[in-house]
Amino acid sequence: MRNKILIIDDDQDILETTGSILAYEGFEIHTADSVERGLELLDTVAPDIVLLDIMFPEKKTRGFDAASEIKAKQPNLPIIVLTAINREYAFDFTKSDIKADEFLNKPVRTRKLVEAIRRLIG
Amino acid sequence: MDLGRGLDVADYSTVNRVVRWFINLRWIAAGGVLAALGVAVAFTRLELPFPVLFLLSGILACVNASYWLFFHVLRREQLAQGELAAFLSVQVAGDYLLLFFLIYFTGFLENPLVFFFVFHTLLTAYLFRTGTALVFAGGLVAVFAATVGAEYAGLIPHHALFPSADPAAYVLQLPLRGAGLAGTIAISAYLMTSIKRRIAEKGRRIEIELDRYKTLDRVKSNFLLQVTHELRGPLAAINGYHEMIARGITGESTPRTLETIGKASRRTDNLLTMIDEMIDFAYMTAELRPKLEAAPLAVAELIGETLDACSALADTKRMRVQTHCPPGLELRANRDLMRIILANLLTNSLKYSPEGSTVTITAGADGGEVCLMVKDEGIGIPPEELDRIFEEFYRTRRARELERDGTGLGLSILKKAVEDLGGRIAVTSEVDKGSSFFIYLPQDGPRTGGTTP
Repeated sequence: MRNKILIIDDDQDILETTGSILAYEGFEIHTADSVERGLELLDTVAPDIVLLDIMFPEKKTRGFDAASEIKAKQPNLPIIVLTAINREYAFDFTKSDIKADEFLNKPVRTRKLVEAIRRLIG
Repeated sequence: MDLGRGLDVADYSTVNRVVRWFINLRWIAAGGVLAALGVAVAFTRLELPFPVLFLLSGILACVNASYWLFFHVLRREQLAQGELAAFLSVQVAGDYLLLFFLIYFTGFLENPLVFFFVFHTLLTAYLFRTGTALVFAGGLVAVFAATVGAEYAGLIPHHALFPSADPAAYVLQLPLRGAGLAGTIAISAYLMTSIKRRIAEKGRRIEIELDRYKTLDRVKSNFLLQVTHELRGPLAAINGYHEMIARGITGESTPRTLETIGKASRRTDNLLTMIDEMIDFAYMTAELRPKLEAAPLAVAELIGETLDACSALADTKRMRVQTHCPPGLELRANRDLMRIILANLLTNSLKYSPEGSTVTITAGADGGEVCLMVKDEGIGIPPEELDRIFEEFYRTRRARELERDGTGLGLSILKKAVEDLGGRIAVTSEVDKGSSFFIYLPQDGPRTGGTTP
């Protein structure tokens, strides 16, 4: 059975490219263009891992809250934060405050992303 | 009256200094008066009430001795702010009183030293708040007016300084002299307080402007930081589409298409580097950037992260990166700053080296310092340009020829980040042979300023 990945990002192009590339790598892909839609899919799709963006139109750091909301629902579901933010000082946060299992910077190398996914799914 | 409230000098150490200064000056004044009296008794035929005058200068010396004992010996120069102010007020009032009697018994308005009161008024107006200063000045004018009136009316005797002077003429001049002195005192008090008010107003305005400037700078920096981050998003999408084509996810491509996509990717990689340099530049040059926390960091892990971040560029140019880092080597620093340093060093070496060459990163510790060396086989830096490479926007001629894309910010950011961590940089370079950058950082964190409190 193929592992299911839920990608939550407000950028349709990121959903398309990351989704297509990971599908090509052999994963089953589900996408959500908002945190709310993503939380809905959490129940219906039951993903093995979530790829989560940080910056959403409604709030610059919506993804941080989303990580907590997802972990509150499913504590064992691994989350990879996939964000364009590559400097913590710019958004005044420290990674240890965020409930994510891995942080990767967009644009991410596919090899690195797939490695992280496989490691976290186990 | 709460004397302590009347002071206008907010700075505790200034008041403390003023008190010390007052006591010293008073010794000189007492000594001067005694000496003058001695000279007058011995060498002149002045008919002054010398016993009273000696008594007054004795009182001045005794009073000052008690001030000195209280301030230096009893309290060891440790007075609370309120106490200090009250102490100063007592001294100023006492000085007015003693000076008044000294002047009164030595010819009063005949005595040229009467203008000492102008100096006292200025000093009082400087030290005390406008209200208190005006009370002192008003009181002084009132006492003078009363004395002038009493002398004029013959109610109190006049102690003539110059016995030859005509007493009748002196009495006639009294009102004019008195008015002159009172006017000078009043104008002095008014001038000093109004100058002080104007300076204070200017100070307040500067503070408001500075606050506004600080806010603007923060807004600008935040804006720049956020916008530059937003630029990474579209780049990620473009890279994704490139990869889809390159890997055949969109269908089979011709060799020409693949070559084209390769070129496009190379330019987007450069763009990403430039965006990161802008992000770091925006941060490093922000007037009021937040202090960054320092934490123990594993050097090998930092180097690994940097290699990951720069792997695209290394892959495209088929370059090898060798690393030598003792396992377990740690240093106390800020992670973002370390990333800036390593990423800039490695990107620089990768960008300005020929395809297929090798970059070597060596880390080590010596005498409380961590040394990072990044050595490349690149184009090198001509000696005459070596001291300019850390300037903002500066790119060497050869660098511009070899690589079109570049902000010229990388090394200036690197330098700022190294300085922030309390470290230093050294460079050796030979044209066409390669460059070596050496970064020395204190292993247990920056000592002054920088990132640790």
